[in-house]
Amino acid sequence: MAWIVKPSGTMQIERRSEPYLTEAMRRELEAETLPRYPTKQAATLPALHMVQHAEGWLPFQAIEEIAEFLDLDASEVYDTATFYEEFFLEPKGRYLIQICESIACELCGYVDLKSKLCRKFDITNCETTDDGKFTLQMVECLGMCDDAPAVLINGKMYRKVTWEQIEGVLDALPDDPNEFDAPGIHPAQE
Amino acid sequence: MAMTEPVLLRRIPSHPWGDPADRKYVDYDTHCKTGGYEGLKKALDIEPKDLIDEVKASELRGRGGAGFSAGLKWSFLPEVDGEQRFLAVNADESEPGTFKDRVLMDYDPHLLYEGIAICMRACHLDTAYIYIRGEYHETYYTLERARQEAYANKIFGDSSIMGQINGRKPHVYIHRGAGAYVCGEETGLLESLEGKRGWPRIKPPFPALKGAFGRPTVINNVETLAVLGDIVTKGSDWFRSLGRASSFGEKAPGSYGPKLFGISGHVNRPGVYEEELGVKMSDLIENHAQGVRNGKKYKAAIPGGVAMGFLGADQFDAELDFDCGRKYNVLGLGTAGVILMDEDTSIVSATRNIVHFFMHESCGQCTPCREGSAWVYKILCRMEEGEGTMKDIDLLDELAQSMGAMPGTTICGLADGTNWAVKTAIAKFRAEFEACCRPSQVNVNVATV
Repeated sequence: MAWIVKPSGTMQIERRSEPYLTEAMRRELEAETLPRYPTKQAATLPALHMVQHAEGWLPFQAIEEIAEFLDLDASEVYDTATFYEEFFLEPKGRYLIQICESIACELCGYVDLKSKLCRKFDITNCETTDDGKFTLQMVECLGMCDDAPAVLINGKMYRKVTWEQIEGVLDALPDDPNEFDAPGIHPAQE
Repeated sequence: MAMTEPVLLRRIPSHPWGDPADRKYVDYDTHCKTGGYEGLKKALDIEPKDLIDEVKASELRGRGGAGFSAGLKWSFLPEVDGEQRFLAVNADESEPGTFKDRVLMDYDPHLLYEGIAICMRACHLDTAYIYIRGEYHETYYTLERARQEAYANKIFGDSSIMGQINGRKPHVYIHRGAGAYVCGEETGLLESLEGKRGWPRIKPPFPALKGAFGRPTVINNVETLAVLGDIVTKGSDWFRSLGRASSFGEKAPGSYGPKLFGISGHVNRPGVYEEELGVKMSDLIENHAQGVRNGKKYKAAIPGGVAMGFLGADQFDAELDFDCGRKYNVLGLGTAGVILMDEDTSIVSATRNIVHFFMHESCGQCTPCREGSAWVYKILCRMEEGEGTMKDIDLLDELAQSMGAMPGTTICGLADGTNWAVKTAIAKFRAEFEACCRPSQVNVNVATV
């Protein structure tokens, strides 16, 4: 729910000396992204995606850096970032497991899948396992209704999922997510 | 009246013409070898205003849900004034049950790029943004690959075969969302494109006059654009030979052309199927989707995305075209993503799931939607657990009837989704709601004479 108020007034901001929005990112934004739009603010979502892709989440310092880069107030970028469910303002696990909870998936076995997953990791919606490996998120429609139920793991789509199959996938995930076969191109292109 | 050959799916193997297992990405060269971009080439010799007239004559109606006339939408644009004008492609497909655009973008994205180019030429739009939902990771990479192919082959860019449009080189960019259904609402999409929260705007001004970045903007759905190439190549008469006129008289807009139907839920063979508008749902389910799963009986269906409400047990033969809202007491055809439920489905649970979706996706601007959907959800949860009372049914109905753009209490139509799901469920399956509710009143012995 995008409208839930975040306690920004009392928020403690952790800082580090090294910027999140790196030189390389700035250059890419400058060369590729900004020329696409008539306003700088329009590059907010691309910039947030970029930092989140590198860091896994969006620390407030990164939001401040993006704001400064785009000549905006930090509150403007924060306002935008808090609206979108896929922007994480807290660290998440190395693997993000997103389970579709919408109607077609519910009709085809979501409830069973969810309860088994929650039990396996002893976490519930939006929680992370103690070892920091998995974060579970129930999301609304992933657009895979014909292949329900669907699960998205770090952006890679698993279709017509059964518990045995997804448990096998989860158990086989390497500790380092960089070794995971993340999405690049659609399976149809391979 | 089944279609004899596929139009939108002609390069995407689909039943009954092919096997979805054979689907492959259709790259630029393969696309061109099979007649791709011919519509655009033909369009280059046609005056922009004649292109708009042709699309108007085809009576093409938007495939994104509302079914508004595409040609008419284009004609609302003001005269060119030298400043930028935009096309926003709505690829934020995220209503449960809807996955037709994904299939087009995954396998034959050049069909979309051709439509984008034709629309840009017809409406003097110099820049197009494809707003794709954040969850479509793989689709995004596919679309980006096709975009680069289109640039390399001079469809767009500095040496585009279209030359200059609106005094500028035509460009198309992909803009990724980040998980918000409401960004599929056209003005929410524009806000998100501008880097803000996806809060729908109050209209007027309409996007045709003041859209993205305060400039005239056309917003079209992926499937609407994808069919433009064929309209230009084969003409509006061909387009109107598919589908049919409205059954509400000559003045009512008809339902013409091919349409993608996404079928999901309790069926044997879910998937995307192409049919003429006006096809019977029973036809789609029995012939294309090979019937209800596990030999069960049909109970209910949603005609096109969960916002449309329920088709009842006696509406299995519903004819799916743009008239279906008025005919069958649902909101409309919507996105034509049919979700089928078998006899074992609890309608109360299904309604609870749908309302949860709208509660979750409410942007929070308008009180009836933000608060109302949450209350409706709570009541439905209570009923599902057997804790509801008979009074709750009426309360639900009252809440549902009083929220949404159609009673005029909200900015956008999101609350209408809650509204229609709940009120059609109650109207068509009231006994089921009553079965999980206790009587509100204590029985009192009244002496009878």
